[in-house]
Amino acid sequence: MPKFPNVLGAAMKRQTTNPPERADELADFVLQDQNGEDVRLGDTWSDGPAVLVWLRHYG
Amino acid sequence: MQLHRHREDFDRVGARLVVIGQGTPRHAEHFIEEYGLDGMQVLVDPDRKTYEAAGAKIATVDELWHPRIVARGTKIAATDRIVQGRTQGHAAQLGGVLVVARDGSIAWAHMSDDASDNPPTEEVLQAARTAADTA
Repeated sequence: MPKFPNVLGAAMKRQTTNPPERADELADFVLQDQNGEDVRLGDTWSDGPAVLVWLRHYG
Repeated sequence: MQLHRHREDFDRVGARLVVIGQGTPRHAEHFIEEYGLDGMQVLVDPDRKTYEAAGAKIATVDELWHPRIVARGTKIAATDRIVQGRTQGHAAQLGGVLVVARDGSIAWAHMSDDASDNPPTEEVLQAARTAADTA
């Protein structure tokens, strides 16, 4: 059976999504914003709920 | 994922919209300029560590370009007048959405199962509204 080449880092086997029940692990990640400023992810929901959107592409 | 187009709706329900992409701060800045998102915070994760921690998956070729996936994505793009933006970083990395409550619990989750799988905006808004009301 022919196999597809690994195009652009695509997974060879189907994966499943695995969202966490709590955001504790995410909280301590520090990412840069558009200005190059560090942002601790947990600070985004310290005052109220946050909707975190992970983009596949910009657009 | 076009939730950034509804930032004001999320503001109204009392939830903070945070967008995370691959690439560099310059890519995020360009994204903000291109879509007129002044005042919104766009974070970058070139190592994709938060993608992994959020439970996002890497797509197979079929999950990116199967005719059914492409047709569905094209239909959504036409309906919502979306022009897909540039992909930065890992081309097979899928995204998703988590609504995080103030106590750090995940109030709602939808991580994409394929390239055309995006949650309905109203569903995310309702989850954000509920999380804000119970905070």
